[in-house]
Parts: sequence; structure tokens; C-alpha cells
Amino acid sequence: MVINNMNFWLKKIKSKVQKITWTTWGIWYIDPPKDVSLDGYRIDNVIQYTDTLITIYFSIVILALIFFVFKYRSRPGHKAVYDKGESKKHVLATIAMGLLVFFSVDIVIESMAFKDLKEAFWNFPKGKNVLKVEVMPQQYAWNFRYAGPDGEFATDDDIVPSQNQMHIPVDTPVIIQIAPFDVIHSFFIPNFRVKQDATPGMINAMWFQAVETGNFEIACAELCGNGHYRMKGYLTVETQEEFEKWLVDNAPQEDEDDWDDWGAEEDEDNREIPEHWGWTWKEIK
Amino acid sequence: MSENHEQTFWTKYIFSTDHKVIAKQFLWLGFFFLAFGGFQALLIRWQLAYPEQPIPWWLLGSLFYEGGFMSPDNYNALFTMHGTIMIFWAITPMIIGAFGNFLIPLQIGAPDMAFPKLNMISFWTMFLASVVLLASYFIPDGPASGGWTSYPPLSTPVGGISGEGQTLWALALTLGGVSTLMGAINYIITVVRMRAPGMTYFKMPLSVWGLWLTSILNAIFVPIIAAGLILLLLDRTIGTQFFVAGGLATVEGGDPLLFQHVFWIFGHPEVYILILPSWGIVSELLAVFSRKPAFGAKVTAICMCTIVVLSSIVWGHHMYTTGMSPLLGKTFMFLTLLISIPSAIFFLNWLGTMWRGNLHFDTPMLFAMSVLWVFGLGGLTGLYNATVTADIYFHSTMFVVGHFHYTMAASVLFGGMAAIYFWFPKMFGKKMNPLLGKIHFWVSFISLNYVFFNMMVQGYAGQHRRLFNPSEYEFLAPINDLNISITTFAMILGFSQLIFLFNFINSMINGKKAEANPWKANTLEWTIETPIPHGNFATTPTVYNGPHEYSNPAVKDRDWISQSEPMPNS
Repeated sequence: MVINNMNFWLKKIKSKVQKITWTTWGIWYIDPPKDVSLDGYRIDNVIQYTDTLITIYFSIVILALIFFVFKYRSRPGHKAVYDKGESKKHVLATIAMGLLVFFSVDIVIESMAFKDLKEAFWNFPKGKNVLKVEVMPQQYAWNFRYAGPDGEFATDDDIVPSQNQMHIPVDTPVIIQIAPFDVIHSFFIPNFRVKQDATPGMINAMWFQAVETGNFEIACAELCGNGHYRMKGYLTVETQEEFEKWLVDNAPQEDEDDWDDWGAEEDEDNREIPEHWGWTWKEIK
Repeated sequence: MSENHEQTFWTKYIFSTDHKVIAKQFLWLGFFFLAFGGFQALLIRWQLAYPEQPIPWWLLGSLFYEGGFMSPDNYNALFTMHGTIMIFWAITPMIIGAFGNFLIPLQIGAPDMAFPKLNMISFWTMFLASVVLLASYFIPDGPASGGWTSYPPLSTPVGGISGEGQTLWALALTLGGVSTLMGAINYIITVVRMRAPGMTYFKMPLSVWGLWLTSILNAIFVPIIAAGLILLLLDRTIGTQFFVAGGLATVEGGDPLLFQHVFWIFGHPEVYILILPSWGIVSELLAVFSRKPAFGAKVTAICMCTIVVLSSIVWGHHMYTTGMSPLLGKTFMFLTLLISIPSAIFFLNWLGTMWRGNLHFDTPMLFAMSVLWVFGLGGLTGLYNATVTADIYFHSTMFVVGHFHYTMAASVLFGGMAAIYFWFPKMFGKKMNPLLGKIHFWVSFISLNYVFFNMMVQGYAGQHRRLFNPSEYEFLAPINDLNISITTFAMILGFSQLIFLFNFINSMINGKKAEANPWKANTLEWTIETPIPHGNFATTPTVYNGPHEYSNPAVKDRDWISQSEPMPNS
């Protein structure tokens, strides 16, 4: 009975939350990087709703504080009222306060976040249209791997572009699976509002979709050593045609000449990684 | 009962078993490291604002670094040691070590701690830990550089940090944990066993409630981090691989995520370990300076207990992006958000205390009121970090840095400052200069808010943490100016603490003699003449009233009545 009631109210609140678009109150007065992803607006929305809440609650506290400071300041003839705040009235006010916070803050934010997780962030896209990329960060570079014509990873026709270069087509869902070679790194694209840790021994997954073409930066968001600050990747979002051409350009050559690498500039602080580092794509249930 | 036998210099001031002396020892240790850690913060800020310029002479740049230029390794070591020192060597000794020791026996009417010798050993273990920690500055590779969280595999030799500094860091923290544990057990038992007759739990001042609950959390969770650190020490010294996996591992079965779980099972309660005493002190001081009973004091105490329970089951919100099970993410988010309820009730009760009061704005009151502001901002911005989706964006950004400085640094330190200004007359028998105190307050309050609020703005703009040089990224170009102005205010904040230091030392030497009860407060410590003799109370006090009987109409001619004074019949 109680659970049914809760569900009813949850649904009601959810439908309300869906319809309202929160406008920013401008308390964080520098704008975040432009959102160019399909679902980044969800994160911006929950942030803006929280902005609204904290502005209201914080203002109430501070206005009350300032009002009390003036009204109840010590002065000749002024006396405090002896009141322990333990009467029935006060306990009821406390309970009301708790309920107000529970319903205006906890339940709303909770249901917004759950909805977004269910509909977007944990709802991995399926079908042929989806681009799969394997990412292996290392100290201090990003390695990317595309499946190649056979659609399978860890095979000879995998496409491994030069380090720190990631290309994706616009308007296509991209799933990345990420596992680091050495220490913990975190794959962060500010313009997409996405972040996923890469933890040794685990293959983590995340997906996103670009709605605009352009060049964006990939940052490492977890301390990974003294080169952490310059562990930067470049994400190029381009049209499907450009992307396919780029894939062909980066395809492994049949008669690969070892001398090609001669003199290629390698960052000497970076670790050496095995030549065939890909893994078989881990299917998500 | 009192132990007023002859004492040598060594037993009186160095290896003393008197809780008041040990409290002062902890206070000085805390001050030393607060200055040290604060200075490191200024170097960090310099690097963030002017990454390509040498550190100037007034920050002693060329003394520490060749030509005044720091390397990425130096920078990593700076923020690692800043975090470690501020949390475990500055705030912990100042709030828990000093005020835990000073207040608990005095406010519950006990002659000393339950185990005075253990108390002394606790301090000297902490001293040993400090020596070990500082020793890491004098070895070739310098101090630890894995961040205060020191996630393996980075913090293991195979992961890239092979110097002994990181090993000493783990060893020093383990020793510090041993010290904290000894203190915690002592505090818990003292509160449970040594309360004066009539001092029921709900008649204890809220400051004792805060310190007591903190000790309970410490006693439960410090052993967990100690276990994790000992495993890390083994990984670093004898080549085990408890926390190494992936391409670096030579054996199967290691798990870096295990360390994160162990770390945050302790690490999240640690936040509350630090802030509970501050809440208690603020609740207490607001009552004193409003001349009014603490509003809903029982509810405040119960809310503190609720938070103690909740704090131990929410650690997962530090790990939303690690790839742990989504189901866990949801659960941790729900539990974390629940903390908003007791927190909101704190604010209700604090404002309720001031409502219809008779407010006196002495320096301790200013600091106590400012906790409403800084903890208001710090607590509310925790909502973003509790939300799984918002945290995807905010995790590991400057937003988190701003948020936890508002809670851990600002709320705890301002609570601690309130306590120092309030109990200074009882600790040292002198009065502090009120004007200097107020200047110190306003300069600190304004500059601190500028610094930490704008760190959150930077985080909102996407700046991630622990960046040696933010100008590496193009998307961070809009926040460059902000980095410079934050640094300016950080310098003001840092150097304005000299006002406090001057006031403190000058008042100790030249201050006016303080009367026994300068604030007209009710709690038991103010019934004793200053300086307080070894053994505290001449006769064990009997407690008749709660700690907050201010402006009770039954008491004629004054607005306070000591806890050990029988209430006149009205």
C-alpha cells in the first residue's frame, strides 16, 4: 500500500520534472564548455535544478541570519526569550523541515538522475549504426582502436590511429570500452559532459553521441603521475564520409615497413606498450 | 583525587599525563602544520596562476626549487602533502587532539582522561608520525606525490612512484592512525565512565557530543584505513601486488578498486570525523552568545548520531565514475542525499537558537555564525556530488576541490577558530585582543569565500584537479584570469593568518588576565579558577542543570547559571 502510494507520487513528480526546463540562475558565472552531445543537456538540467534549490535554501538561511543579527542584537533593555525549542510545535516544525527537504531535494534530484541514467547514460545503444571504440590510456597518452572491416576487435585489421587522436562521426552513437595499461586514468570530454575512469584489471564502458562537428579536447581527470597535466587527447567529430576516409587512411598497411617508424617522435617519458593491446569486445547485457 | 605532587620540567611540560598540557602540545603541533600546509597551498596557487613564472622571493621560491621553478613532480608532491598535512596533521590535532583533550574532562567534570598515560603515548606517537612525515622532505626523491588519496597502482613502485617518500607517507599515516585510535578509545571511555554525578548524556554540552561521536567514528574506521595502508606498504616494500592489476601486474588477483573502497570506507566518515566537533562547538557557542538555550539540543544530538550512522554507508559516492555496479551507484546516491535531512535540521536549530536571542558579537560568535555561511555553501554543493549524473561532470574537477574546502577547511577551521578564541582565556588565563580578532575574522571570511567559491566556478567551467599547468588546455582559457585573482585572495587569506598568530602569541605573553568565567558560560570548565590545577576540580562537581540554561527566568539578576549550581526555586 505504502509502496504503491510512493510509486504514484514518484510518477507524478517525474512527469512534472520532465516538462520543466530549468533556466540557469547564473551563480556559476563562467559558462561550462559548450555541450555538443545528445544527452549532455540532462546533466546541465540536473545541475540547474540543483542551482535553483541551493540558491533558495541558502538565501533563506542567510536572510534569516542577517535579519536575526539586526533584530536580536544585544542592546540595553533587550533580553533573550527562554526557549529550549523542545515543545510539540517545534518538533513538528523540525519534522516538517525534514519532509520538505526530503521531497523537494532528495526525491526530485533522485528521480531526475534515475530517469537520466535509465534513459541515457546506462541505456547503451544497440544495432549496426553504433560505432565501437576501444580506449587504452597509458602514462601519458591515449590509445584508440577501431574494429576495422571485419567488425571484430583484437584482429589484424584493427585500425589504430596515432596516439591521442580520436575521430568519430557526427549523429552516431559511440560506445567506448576503456581499460588502462598501467595506472588509473579517467577519460573526460568536457564538451560532452562525460567521464569514465579506466581502472587496471577492469573493462569499463560508456557511450555518447555528438550532435555537432568540430574539434574537442579529451582530458585525463585522474592523477596518473607527473605527466598527468599534459595527458591530452583530441577528439574530432566529422561527417560520416570524412570519418570513413580517415579510417581508410589509418588502416594497417599490408607490406608494413619497419623503417617507417624510424625517427618517429615518441615521448620518452611514456611507457612502452605491447604492440597488440586490443581485447575482444565485451558484450554488455 | 588531585595529583599535585612535585613535578620536574620533563614530567610537567614534555612527558606530561595532564590532559590540559597534552591539549596544548597538540595545539602547537597543529599550528605548526597548519602554517606548513598553508604555505604549501600558496605555492600551489602560485603555480596555478603563473605556471611559467618563477616563484618570487617572498614565497621563498629559489630556496625550495632551483631558480624558483617547480617541476611537475614537485607540484604533485605539494598538493599531496598539502592535503595529507592539512587533514591529518593540522585539523585533526587542532580540533580533536587539542579540544578533545581539553574539553572532554573539563566539560563532563572529570579529573583527567580515563587513561592519562595512553593519552601521553598518543601524542608522542603523533610526534613520531610527524618526524617520519617530515623526514620524507630530506631524502633524494622528495616526499609522496600520489595525491592525498594515493590511489594504487600509481602509488606503488611499479606504477611510477618509486621513491621512499611515498613509503614514508604510508608509514607516517599508519602511525598517525595508531595515535588517533589511542586517543579515540580514551575519549570514548572517558565520556562513558567518568561523567560527574548528574551529568546524563543529554546534559553533556553539544561540544562533548561532537567530540565523542567523532571518537566513535575514529575507533571504527581508522583501523580500516590502517589495514589498507599496511597492504600498500607491503606493495611498496616487499613487492606484493595487492593493488596492482592490468599491464603492470606480474601475478593475478590484485585489485586497485579494493584500495579505493577501503580508502573511502574510512575517507567519507573522516569528513564527519572532522566536522562533528565543529558542529558541536558551533551549537554550543551560538547558545552562549545568544544568551539562550540551544534550540532543540536533544534533536541536534540525535541528528549528529544519525549522521554518524549515515556517514559510514555512503562512501560509494566518491566512486561513481570508477565503473562500480550501477545498482550500488543508485543506493549510494539515495543514502547520501538522506544526509541533507539531518543537516537541514542543524540549520533550523542554529537559527532557532539565535531567534529571539540576545546576540553578542564577540569574535567566537562571528566565527560560529560564519560556519552557517560556509557550511551552508559547502553542504548544499554536496548535492551535486551526491547526484550520479551531475557527478559524472563534476567528479575530479575544481568543483570538488571548492566543495570540500568549504566543508573540511572552512567549516572545520572556522569552528576551530571560534573554539580557540572562546577557550583561550581558560587555556592560557589571558584575554585575546578582540579588535585583532575581528580583523582576522573579516579578512579571512572574505578572502576564503572568494577563493573557494571561485574554485567551484572553475570546476563548473570544467577545470579538472591536480593540473600542473592549466594553460595546456584550450577549453580552460576562459578561467585563466580567475586563477590569478583566486591566487591573489589566497595570498591575502594566507598572510592574514599572521594577524591571528601575532594576536595569539602576544596575548599569551602580554594579554590582560582573564577572570574565571569571562563569557558568563554555564559549562563546568568555567567554574574552575584559571590556571586549572592538575586534577581539575577541587571537589567532584554535582551537575544539576543542562548546559544551556541561559536567560532562565528562575534565575534572578543574571542570565546564566552554572551546571553545578542548584536551580533556585521559583
